[in-house]
Amino acid sequence: MIIIGEKINGTRKKVSAAIRERDAQFIKDLAQSQVEAGSNYLDVNAGTSPEREPEDMAWLVNTIQEATEAPLCLDSANPAALKAGLELVNKTPIINSVSGEKPRIENVLPLALEHKTGLILLALDDQVGIADTAAERMEIVHRLVGLAKDGGLAEEQLFVDPLVTAISTGTDNALVTYDSIAQTRAAYPKAHITCGLSNISFGMPLRSLINQTFMAMCIQVGLDSAIIDPNDRNLMSVLLASEMLMGKDKYCQNFSRAYRSGRIGPKND
Amino acid sequence: MADLKDLFTAVVEMQEDTAMELTNKYLDEGVPALDIFNCYQEALEEIGKRFEKQLYFIPELIMSGEMMKAASEILKPHLSEETSASGGQKKLGKVLMATVQGDIHDIGKNIASMMLDLNGLEVKDIGVDVPAETIIAEAQAFGADVIGLSGLLTLAFDPMKAVVDKLEEQGLRDKIKVLIGGGQMDEQVCNYVGADAYVTDAVVGVNYIKGWLS
Repeated sequence: MIIIGEKINGTRKKVSAAIRERDAQFIKDLAQSQVEAGSNYLDVNAGTSPEREPEDMAWLVNTIQEATEAPLCLDSANPAALKAGLELVNKTPIINSVSGEKPRIENVLPLALEHKTGLILLALDDQVGIADTAAERMEIVHRLVGLAKDGGLAEEQLFVDPLVTAISTGTDNALVTYDSIAQTRAAYPKAHITCGLSNISFGMPLRSLINQTFMAMCIQVGLDSAIIDPNDRNLMSVLLASEMLMGKDKYCQNFSRAYRSGRIGPKND
Repeated sequence: MADLKDLFTAVVEMQEDTAMELTNKYLDEGVPALDIFNCYQEALEEIGKRFEKQLYFIPELIMSGEMMKAASEILKPHLSEETSASGGQKKLGKVLMATVQGDIHDIGKNIASMMLDLNGLEVKDIGVDVPAETIIAEAQAFGADVIGLSGLLTLAFDPMKAVVDKLEEQGLRDKIKVLIGGGQMDEQVCNYVGADAYVTDAVVGVNYIKGWLS
Protein backbone atom coordinates (compact mmCIF):
# COMPACT_ATOMS: atom_id res chain seq x y z
CA MET A 1 0.00 0.00 0.00
CA ILE A 2 1.35 3.41 -0.96
CA ILE A 3 0.34 5.86 1.74
CA ILE A 4 0.28 9.54 0.88
CA GLY A 5 0.22 11.58 4.11
CA GLU A 6 -2.40 14.29 3.72
CA LYS A 7 -1.72 16.65 6.60
CA ILE A 8 0.49 19.34 5.05
CA ASN A 9 -2.44 21.08 3.47
CA GLY A 10 -2.97 24.84 3.62
CA THR A 11 -6.74 24.45 3.66
CA ARG A 12 -6.31 23.25 7.26
CA LYS A 13 -6.31 26.22 9.63
CA LYS A 14 -3.17 25.41 11.63
CA VAL A 15 -1.15 24.63 8.52
CA SER A 16 -2.33 27.80 6.83
CA ALA A 17 -1.16 29.82 9.85
CA ALA A 18 2.21 28.02 9.87
CA ILE A 19 2.70 28.84 6.18
CA ARG A 20 1.79 32.49 6.71
CA GLU A 21 4.08 32.86 9.72
CA ARG A 22 6.86 30.70 8.21
CA ASP A 23 6.74 28.40 11.23
CA ALA A 24 9.25 25.85 9.91
CA GLN A 25 9.25 23.73 13.05
CA PHE A 26 5.51 23.10 12.83
CA ILE A 27 5.83 21.89 9.23
CA LYS A 28 8.89 19.76 10.01
CA ASP A 29 7.11 18.06 12.93
CA LEU A 30 4.12 17.38 10.72
CA ALA A 31 6.40 15.87 8.07
CA GLN A 32 8.37 13.72 10.50
CA SER A 33 5.39 12.36 12.39
CA GLN A 34 3.68 11.35 9.15
CA VAL A 35 6.79 9.53 7.91
CA GLU A 36 7.23 7.74 11.22
CA ALA A 37 3.62 6.61 11.02
CA GLY A 38 4.27 4.95 7.67
CA SER A 39 3.78 7.53 4.89
CA ASN A 40 5.49 6.70 1.62
CA TYR A 41 4.85 10.16 0.20
CA LEU A 42 3.93 13.47 1.79
CA ASP A 43 1.26 15.55 0.11
CA VAL A 44 2.18 19.25 -0.10
CA ASN A 45 -0.65 21.70 -0.67
CA ALA A 46 0.02 25.38 0.06
CA GLY A 47 -3.65 26.28 -0.44
CA THR A 48 -2.83 29.97 -0.79
CA SER A 49 -3.80 32.54 -3.42
CA PRO A 50 -2.31 32.10 -6.91
CA GLU A 51 0.18 34.98 -6.52
CA ARG A 52 1.60 33.65 -3.26
CA GLU A 53 1.41 29.96 -3.99
CA PRO A 54 4.74 29.43 -5.88
CA GLU A 55 6.70 31.07 -3.09
CA ASP A 56 4.80 29.17 -0.39
CA MET A 57 5.21 25.88 -2.25
CA ALA A 58 8.98 26.44 -2.53
CA TRP A 59 9.24 27.21 1.18
CA LEU A 60 7.21 24.11 2.09
CA VAL A 61 9.29 21.81 -0.14
CA ASN A 62 12.57 23.10 1.30
CA THR A 63 11.32 22.95 4.86
CA ILE A 64 9.97 19.40 4.54
CA GLN A 65 13.14 18.17 2.87
CA GLU A 66 15.22 19.51 5.74
CA ALA A 67 13.25 17.23 8.05
CA THR A 68 12.75 14.03 6.06
CA GLU A 69 13.86 12.15 2.96
CA ALA A 70 10.38 11.05 1.97
CA PRO A 71 9.37 11.89 -1.60
CA LEU A 72 6.65 14.47 -2.06
CA CYS A 73 3.27 14.66 -3.73
CA LEU A 74 3.00 18.20 -5.11
CA ASP A 75 -0.66 19.12 -4.79
CA SER A 76 -1.76 22.15 -6.81
CA ALA A 77 -3.71 23.16 -9.88
CA ASN A 78 -1.37 26.11 -10.35
CA PRO A 79 1.42 25.39 -12.89
CA ALA A 80 3.66 28.12 -11.44
CA ALA A 81 3.45 26.57 -7.97
CA LEU A 82 4.13 23.09 -9.36
CA LYS A 83 7.17 24.41 -11.27
CA ALA A 84 8.51 26.04 -8.11
CA GLY A 85 8.19 22.70 -6.29
CA LEU A 86 9.61 20.63 -9.15
CA GLU A 87 12.79 22.72 -9.22
CA LEU A 88 13.54 21.93 -5.59
CA VAL A 89 12.58 18.29 -5.04
CA ASN A 90 15.36 15.83 -4.17
CA LYS A 91 13.38 12.77 -5.21
CA THR A 92 10.96 12.09 -8.03
CA PRO A 93 7.61 13.40 -6.79
CA ILE A 94 4.01 12.66 -7.67
CA ILE A 95 1.99 15.49 -9.17
CA ASN A 96 -1.52 15.83 -7.76
CA SER A 97 -3.30 16.06 -10.19
CA VAL A 98 -4.48 15.99 -13.79
CA SER A 99 -8.16 15.59 -14.60
CA GLY A 100 -10.02 15.76 -17.88
CA GLU A 101 -10.40 19.53 -17.42
CA LYS A 102 -8.77 21.52 -20.18
CA PRO A 103 -6.48 23.76 -18.07
CA ARG A 104 -5.07 20.73 -16.26
CA ILE A 105 -4.39 18.84 -19.47
CA GLU A 106 -2.83 21.86 -21.13
CA ASN A 107 -0.80 23.22 -18.21
CA VAL A 108 -0.22 20.49 -15.64
CA LEU A 109 0.16 17.33 -17.74
CA PRO A 110 3.19 18.70 -19.69
CA LEU A 111 5.03 19.30 -16.39
CA ALA A 112 4.54 15.68 -15.36
CA LEU A 113 5.71 14.47 -18.77
CA GLU A 114 8.74 16.76 -18.82
CA HIS A 115 9.89 15.81 -15.32
CA LYS A 116 8.80 12.16 -15.61
CA THR A 117 7.00 12.35 -12.29
CA GLY A 118 4.36 10.14 -10.81
CA LEU A 119 0.91 11.46 -11.66
CA ILE A 120 -2.52 11.30 -10.06
CA LEU A 121 -5.31 11.10 -12.64
CA LEU A 122 -8.75 12.23 -11.49
CA ALA A 123 -11.78 10.69 -13.17
CA LEU A 124 -13.62 13.96 -13.79
CA ASP A 125 -13.75 16.53 -16.56
CA ASP A 126 -15.28 19.87 -17.45
CA GLN A 127 -18.09 18.30 -19.47
CA VAL A 128 -19.75 16.06 -16.90
CA GLY A 129 -17.97 17.05 -13.66
CA ILE A 130 -18.02 13.97 -11.46
CA ALA A 131 -19.90 11.32 -13.41
CA ASP A 132 -22.62 9.30 -11.72
CA THR A 133 -21.68 5.98 -13.30
CA ALA A 134 -18.53 3.87 -13.35
CA ALA A 135 -18.80 3.60 -17.15
CA GLU A 136 -18.60 7.37 -17.59
CA ARG A 137 -15.74 7.67 -15.11
CA MET A 138 -13.87 4.93 -16.97
CA GLU A 139 -14.16 6.83 -20.23
CA ILE A 140 -12.26 9.69 -18.61
CA VAL A 141 -9.74 7.31 -17.02
CA HIS A 142 -9.02 5.67 -20.39
CA ARG A 143 -8.52 9.04 -22.02
CA LEU A 144 -6.16 10.29 -19.29
CA VAL A 145 -4.13 7.09 -19.04
CA GLY A 146 -3.78 7.20 -22.84
CA LEU A 147 -2.50 10.78 -22.76
CA ALA A 148 -0.01 10.03 -19.97
CA LYS A 149 1.32 6.88 -21.64
CA ASP A 150 1.58 8.55 -25.04
CA GLY A 151 3.59 11.27 -23.32
CA GLY A 152 6.10 8.74 -22.05
CA LEU A 153 4.98 7.88 -18.51
CA ALA A 154 5.00 4.21 -17.51
CA GLU A 155 1.79 2.63 -16.22
CA GLU A 156 3.34 2.15 -12.77
CA GLN A 157 3.89 5.90 -12.46
CA LEU A 158 0.16 6.52 -12.69
CA PHE A 159 -2.19 6.82 -9.73
CA VAL A 160 -5.78 6.63 -10.90
CA ASP A 161 -8.27 8.32 -8.56
CA PRO A 162 -11.74 7.01 -9.44
CA LEU A 163 -13.29 9.58 -7.07
CA VAL A 164 -15.44 9.24 -4.00
CA THR A 165 -18.71 11.08 -3.47
CA ALA A 166 -20.61 11.31 -0.21
CA ILE A 167 -22.78 8.33 0.72
CA SER A 168 -25.11 10.82 2.42
CA THR A 169 -26.12 12.20 -0.96
CA GLY A 170 -26.62 8.94 -2.84
CA THR A 171 -27.31 5.41 -1.67
CA ASP A 172 -25.20 3.85 -4.45
CA ASN A 173 -22.27 6.27 -4.31
CA ALA A 174 -19.83 3.81 -2.74
CA LEU A 175 -20.79 1.15 -5.30
CA VAL A 176 -19.79 3.46 -8.15
CA THR A 177 -16.34 3.80 -6.60
CA TYR A 178 -15.94 0.02 -6.13
CA ASP A 179 -16.95 -0.56 -9.75
CA SER A 180 -14.53 2.07 -11.00
CA ILE A 181 -11.67 0.64 -8.92
CA ALA A 182 -12.33 -2.89 -10.15
CA GLN A 183 -12.53 -1.81 -13.78
CA THR A 184 -9.35 0.28 -13.51
CA ARG A 185 -7.53 -2.63 -11.90
CA ALA A 186 -8.61 -4.95 -14.72
CA ALA A 187 -7.68 -2.50 -17.48
CA TYR A 188 -4.34 -1.31 -16.03
CA PRO A 189 -2.85 -4.02 -13.80
CA LYS A 190 0.36 -2.08 -13.14
CA ALA A 191 -1.18 1.31 -12.40
CA HIS A 192 -1.79 2.39 -8.83
CA ILE A 193 -5.26 3.27 -7.64
CA THR A 194 -5.64 5.90 -4.97
CA CYS A 195 -8.39 8.03 -3.51
CA GLY A 196 -9.37 10.60 -0.93
CA LEU A 197 -11.42 8.19 1.14
CA SER A 198 -12.90 10.57 3.68
CA ASN A 199 -15.28 12.20 1.17
CA ILE A 200 -17.44 9.11 1.61
CA SER A 201 -18.57 10.10 5.10
CA PHE A 202 -19.31 13.79 4.46
CA GLY A 203 -22.57 14.79 6.13
CA MET A 204 -22.73 11.72 8.38
CA PRO A 205 -22.06 11.01 12.06
CA LEU A 206 -19.30 8.54 13.06
CA ARG A 207 -17.20 9.52 10.10
CA SER A 208 -14.10 7.57 11.06
CA LEU A 209 -16.04 4.32 11.34
CA ILE A 210 -17.45 4.86 7.86
CA ASN A 211 -14.03 5.77 6.46
CA GLN A 212 -12.40 2.67 7.89
CA THR A 213 -15.07 0.29 6.63
CA PHE A 214 -15.08 1.90 3.22
CA MET A 215 -11.31 1.69 2.92
CA ALA A 216 -11.36 -2.04 3.67
CA MET A 217 -13.97 -2.56 0.96
CA CYS A 218 -11.97 -0.50 -1.55
CA ILE A 219 -8.81 -2.47 -0.78
CA GLN A 220 -10.70 -5.65 -1.51
CA VAL A 221 -11.53 -4.51 -5.05
CA GLY A 222 -8.06 -3.20 -5.86
CA LEU A 223 -7.19 0.05 -4.10
CA ASP A 224 -3.42 0.05 -3.44
CA SER A 225 -2.79 3.62 -2.36
CA ALA A 226 -4.60 6.17 -0.24
CA ILE A 227 -4.33 9.83 0.65
CA ILE A 228 -4.94 9.67 4.40
CA ASP A 229 -3.90 10.82 7.83
CA PRO A 230 -1.26 8.20 8.71
CA ASN A 231 -1.39 9.24 12.36
CA ASP A 232 -4.95 7.96 12.54
CA ARG A 233 -4.16 4.78 14.42
CA ASN A 234 -7.49 3.10 13.84
CA LEU A 235 -7.44 3.78 10.13
CA MET A 236 -3.91 2.40 9.83
CA SER A 237 -4.96 -0.73 11.75
CA VAL A 238 -7.77 -1.38 9.30
CA LEU A 239 -5.44 -0.67 6.38
CA LEU A 240 -2.85 -3.22 7.53
CA ALA A 241 -5.47 -5.82 8.41
CA SER A 242 -7.18 -5.41 5.03
CA GLU A 243 -3.94 -5.80 3.07
CA MET A 244 -3.09 -8.87 5.10
CA LEU A 245 -6.51 -10.39 4.50
CA MET A 246 -6.13 -9.77 0.76
CA GLY A 247 -3.00 -11.90 0.65
CA LYS A 248 -0.63 -8.99 0.27
CA ASP A 249 1.30 -9.40 3.52
CA LYS A 250 3.70 -12.34 3.49
CA TYR A 251 3.63 -14.24 6.78
CA CYS A 252 1.61 -11.30 8.10
CA GLN A 253 4.87 -9.48 8.77
CA ASN A 254 3.74 -5.91 8.05
CA PHE A 255 0.84 -6.37 10.41
CA SER A 256 2.89 -8.09 13.12
CA ARG A 257 5.72 -5.60 12.90
CA ALA A 258 3.33 -2.69 13.24
CA TYR A 259 1.80 -4.41 16.25
CA ARG A 260 5.15 -5.12 17.90
CA SER A 261 6.35 -1.57 17.40
CA GLY A 262 3.12 -0.26 18.90
CA ARG A 263 1.90 1.52 15.75
CA ILE A 264 -1.39 -0.39 15.90
CA GLY A 265 -3.35 -2.04 18.67
CA PRO A 266 -3.97 -0.78 22.20
CA LYS A 267 -1.78 2.12 23.15
CA ASN A 268 0.60 1.64 26.09
CA ASP A 269 1.74 4.99 27.37
CA MET B 1 -55.30 22.00 10.76
CA ALA B 2 -54.78 20.41 14.18
CA ASP B 3 -55.79 17.05 12.75
CA LEU B 4 -52.76 16.84 10.51
CA LYS B 5 -50.53 15.96 13.45
CA ASP B 6 -50.08 12.39 12.23
CA LEU B 7 -48.93 13.68 8.85
CA PHE B 8 -46.47 16.03 10.54
CA THR B 9 -45.11 13.15 12.60
CA ALA B 10 -44.84 10.85 9.57
CA VAL B 11 -42.79 13.42 7.64
CA VAL B 12 -40.58 14.31 10.58
CA GLU B 13 -39.95 10.65 11.37
CA MET B 14 -39.08 9.86 7.73
CA GLN B 15 -42.02 7.51 7.21
CA GLU B 16 -42.31 8.06 3.50
CA ASP B 17 -45.13 5.62 2.73
CA THR B 18 -47.28 6.72 5.65
CA ALA B 19 -46.80 10.37 4.72
CA MET B 20 -47.97 9.70 1.15
CA GLU B 21 -50.99 7.69 2.31
CA LEU B 22 -52.01 10.43 4.74
CA THR B 23 -51.52 13.13 2.12
CA ASN B 24 -53.88 11.33 -0.24
CA LYS B 25 -56.33 10.51 2.54
CA TYR B 26 -56.61 14.13 3.70
CA LEU B 27 -57.04 15.36 0.15
CA ASP B 28 -59.86 12.85 -0.38
CA GLU B 29 -61.49 13.99 2.85
CA GLY B 30 -61.52 17.55 1.56
CA VAL B 31 -58.79 19.10 3.67
CA PRO B 32 -57.49 22.17 1.79
CA ALA B 33 -54.28 21.41 -0.11
CA LEU B 34 -52.71 24.55 1.29
CA ASP B 35 -53.14 23.24 4.86
CA ILE B 36 -51.45 20.00 3.88
CA PHE B 37 -48.67 21.90 2.16
CA ASN B 38 -48.16 24.08 5.24
CA CYS B 39 -47.98 20.96 7.37
CA TYR B 40 -45.09 19.73 5.21
CA GLN B 41 -43.34 23.06 5.60
CA GLU B 42 -43.67 22.92 9.37
CA ALA B 43 -42.34 19.37 9.33
CA LEU B 44 -39.39 20.55 7.26
CA GLU B 45 -38.66 23.25 9.77
CA GLU B 46 -38.59 20.66 12.53
CA ILE B 47 -36.27 18.49 10.41
CA GLY B 48 -33.99 21.51 9.98
CA LYS B 49 -33.90 21.97 13.76
CA ARG B 50 -32.98 18.33 14.26
CA PHE B 51 -30.24 18.74 11.65
CA GLU B 52 -28.82 21.66 13.61
CA LYS B 53 -28.86 19.56 16.77
CA GLN B 54 -27.02 16.79 14.89
CA LEU B 55 -29.83 14.32 15.40
CA TYR B 56 -30.40 14.30 11.67
CA PHE B 57 -27.82 14.44 8.88
CA ILE B 58 -27.67 15.10 5.17
CA PRO B 59 -29.57 11.92 4.17
CA GLU B 60 -32.59 13.12 6.18
CA LEU B 61 -32.45 16.54 4.49
CA ILE B 62 -32.39 14.88 1.09
CA MET B 63 -35.10 12.37 1.94
CA SER B 64 -37.40 15.07 3.31
CA GLY B 65 -36.78 17.00 0.10
CA GLU B 66 -37.90 13.98 -1.90
CA MET B 67 -41.03 13.59 0.23
CA MET B 68 -41.83 17.27 -0.21
CA LYS B 69 -41.34 17.00 -3.95
CA ALA B 70 -43.61 13.96 -4.21
CA ALA B 71 -46.27 15.67 -2.08
CA SER B 72 -46.04 18.86 -4.15
CA GLU B 73 -46.78 16.85 -7.29
CA ILE B 74 -49.97 15.53 -5.71
CA LEU B 75 -50.96 18.88 -4.22
CA LYS B 76 -50.04 21.17 -7.12
CA PRO B 77 -53.27 20.89 -9.17
CA HIS B 78 -55.34 21.52 -6.02
CA LEU B 79 -53.08 24.29 -4.80
CA SER B 80 -53.31 26.32 -7.98
CA GLU B 81 -57.14 26.16 -7.82
CA GLU B 82 -57.17 27.31 -4.22
CA THR B 83 -54.55 30.02 -4.55
CA SER B 84 -55.98 31.51 -7.74
CA ALA B 85 -59.21 31.87 -5.76
CA SER B 86 -57.50 33.39 -2.74
CA GLY B 87 -55.08 35.67 -4.58
CA GLY B 88 -52.11 33.40 -4.95
CA GLN B 89 -49.35 32.38 -2.61
CA LYS B 90 -46.38 34.71 -2.91
CA LYS B 91 -42.82 33.47 -2.82
CA LEU B 92 -40.65 35.07 -0.15
CA GLY B 93 -38.02 36.25 -2.61
CA LYS B 94 -35.60 35.22 -5.33
CA VAL B 95 -32.24 33.57 -4.86
CA LEU B 96 -29.72 32.94 -7.61
CA MET B 97 -27.35 30.06 -6.82
CA ALA B 98 -24.02 29.23 -8.46
CA THR B 99 -20.71 27.54 -7.81
CA VAL B 100 -18.06 30.11 -8.75
CA GLN B 101 -15.56 29.90 -11.58
CA GLY B 102 -12.74 27.43 -11.05
CA ASP B 103 -14.75 25.12 -8.81
CA ILE B 104 -17.01 22.29 -9.90
CA HIS B 105 -18.25 21.02 -6.53
CA ASP B 106 -22.02 20.94 -6.49
CA ILE B 107 -23.22 18.80 -3.57
CA GLY B 108 -23.43 21.68 -1.10
CA LYS B 109 -24.98 24.03 -3.62
CA ASN B 110 -27.59 21.47 -4.65
CA ILE B 111 -28.62 20.77 -1.08
CA ALA B 112 -28.81 24.50 -0.33
CA SER B 113 -30.89 25.14 -3.48
CA MET B 114 -33.28 22.37 -2.55
CA MET B 115 -33.65 23.62 1.02
CA LEU B 116 -34.31 27.19 -0.15
CA ASP B 117 -36.90 26.00 -2.64
CA LEU B 118 -38.67 23.96 0.02
CA ASN B 119 -38.69 26.95 2.33
CA GLY B 120 -40.73 29.05 -0.05
CA LEU B 121 -38.02 30.89 -1.96
CA GLU B 122 -37.85 31.09 -5.72
CA VAL B 123 -34.50 29.58 -6.64
CA LYS B 124 -32.57 29.66 -9.88
CA ASP B 125 -29.52 27.39 -9.91
CA ILE B 126 -27.14 28.19 -12.77
CA GLY B 127 -24.68 25.38 -12.12
CA VAL B 128 -20.95 25.14 -11.48
CA ASP B 129 -17.80 26.91 -12.68
CA VAL B 130 -19.78 30.06 -13.54
CA PRO B 131 -17.84 33.28 -14.35
CA ALA B 132 -18.66 36.43 -12.34
CA GLU B 133 -20.08 38.25 -15.39
CA THR B 134 -22.55 35.44 -16.04
CA ILE B 135 -23.61 35.30 -12.40
CA ILE B 136 -24.39 39.02 -12.36
CA ALA B 137 -26.14 39.02 -15.73
CA GLU B 138 -28.29 36.06 -14.66
CA ALA B 139 -29.04 37.66 -11.30
CA GLN B 140 -30.25 40.83 -12.99
CA ALA B 141 -32.35 38.98 -15.56
CA PHE B 142 -33.89 36.88 -12.78
CA GLY B 143 -34.42 39.84 -10.46
CA ALA B 144 -32.53 38.14 -7.63
CA ASP B 145 -32.74 39.49 -4.08
CA VAL B 146 -29.87 37.30 -2.98
CA ILE B 147 -26.92 35.68 -4.74
CA GLY B 148 -25.73 32.46 -3.13
CA LEU B 149 -22.15 31.61 -4.07
CA SER B 150 -20.79 28.16 -3.42
CA GLY B 151 -17.20 26.96 -3.48
CA LEU B 152 -15.36 24.17 -1.73
CA LEU B 153 -11.81 25.11 -2.61
CA THR B 154 -9.72 28.01 -1.35
CA LEU B 155 -9.33 28.84 -5.04
CA ALA B 156 -12.97 29.94 -4.88
CA PHE B 157 -12.20 32.98 -2.68
CA ASP B 158 -11.00 35.24 -5.48
CA PRO B 159 -13.82 34.42 -7.91
CA MET B 160 -16.28 35.12 -5.07
CA LYS B 161 -14.61 38.45 -4.42
CA ALA B 162 -14.83 39.21 -8.15
CA VAL B 163 -18.61 38.84 -8.03
CA VAL B 164 -18.92 41.28 -5.11
CA ASP B 165 -16.47 43.76 -6.72
CA LYS B 166 -18.39 43.69 -10.00
CA LEU B 167 -21.69 44.21 -8.18
CA GLU B 168 -20.14 47.32 -6.60
CA GLU B 169 -18.82 48.59 -9.93
CA GLN B 170 -22.22 48.23 -11.49
CA GLY B 171 -23.94 49.96 -8.57
CA LEU B 172 -25.95 46.83 -7.69
CA ARG B 173 -24.37 45.97 -4.38
CA ASP B 174 -27.03 47.56 -2.14
CA LYS B 175 -29.83 45.88 -4.09
CA ILE B 176 -28.51 42.32 -3.88
CA LYS B 177 -27.34 40.46 -0.78
CA VAL B 178 -24.45 38.01 -1.19
CA LEU B 179 -24.19 34.82 0.84
CA ILE B 180 -21.12 32.59 0.48
CA GLY B 181 -21.18 28.92 1.41
CA GLY B 182 -18.72 26.05 1.61
CA GLY B 183 -16.58 24.03 3.97
CA GLN B 184 -13.70 26.54 3.91
CA MET B 185 -15.76 29.63 4.65
CA ASP B 186 -15.14 31.68 7.79
CA GLU B 187 -15.30 35.24 9.08
CA GLN B 188 -11.95 36.14 7.53
CA VAL B 189 -12.95 34.86 4.09
CA CYS B 190 -16.28 36.63 4.36
CA ASN B 191 -14.52 39.95 5.02
CA TYR B 192 -12.04 39.36 2.21
CA VAL B 193 -14.80 38.56 -0.26
CA GLY B 194 -17.04 41.37 0.99
CA ALA B 195 -20.06 39.10 1.32
CA ASP B 196 -22.97 39.83 3.68
CA ALA B 197 -22.60 36.50 5.45
CA TYR B 198 -20.92 33.11 5.22
CA VAL B 199 -22.32 29.69 6.02
CA THR B 200 -20.98 26.17 6.22
CA ASP B 201 -24.31 24.40 6.16
CA ALA B 202 -27.53 24.72 4.21
CA VAL B 203 -29.95 25.12 7.10
CA VAL B 204 -28.12 28.13 8.51
CA GLY B 205 -28.10 29.63 5.00
CA VAL B 206 -31.87 29.30 4.72
CA ASN B 207 -32.25 31.08 8.07
CA TYR B 208 -30.04 33.98 6.96
CA ILE B 209 -31.90 34.48 3.71
CA LYS B 210 -35.33 34.25 5.32
CA GLY B 211 -34.17 36.82 7.86
CA TRP B 212 -33.03 39.23 5.16
CA LEU B 213 -36.23 38.97 3.17
CA SER B 214 -38.80 39.05 5.95
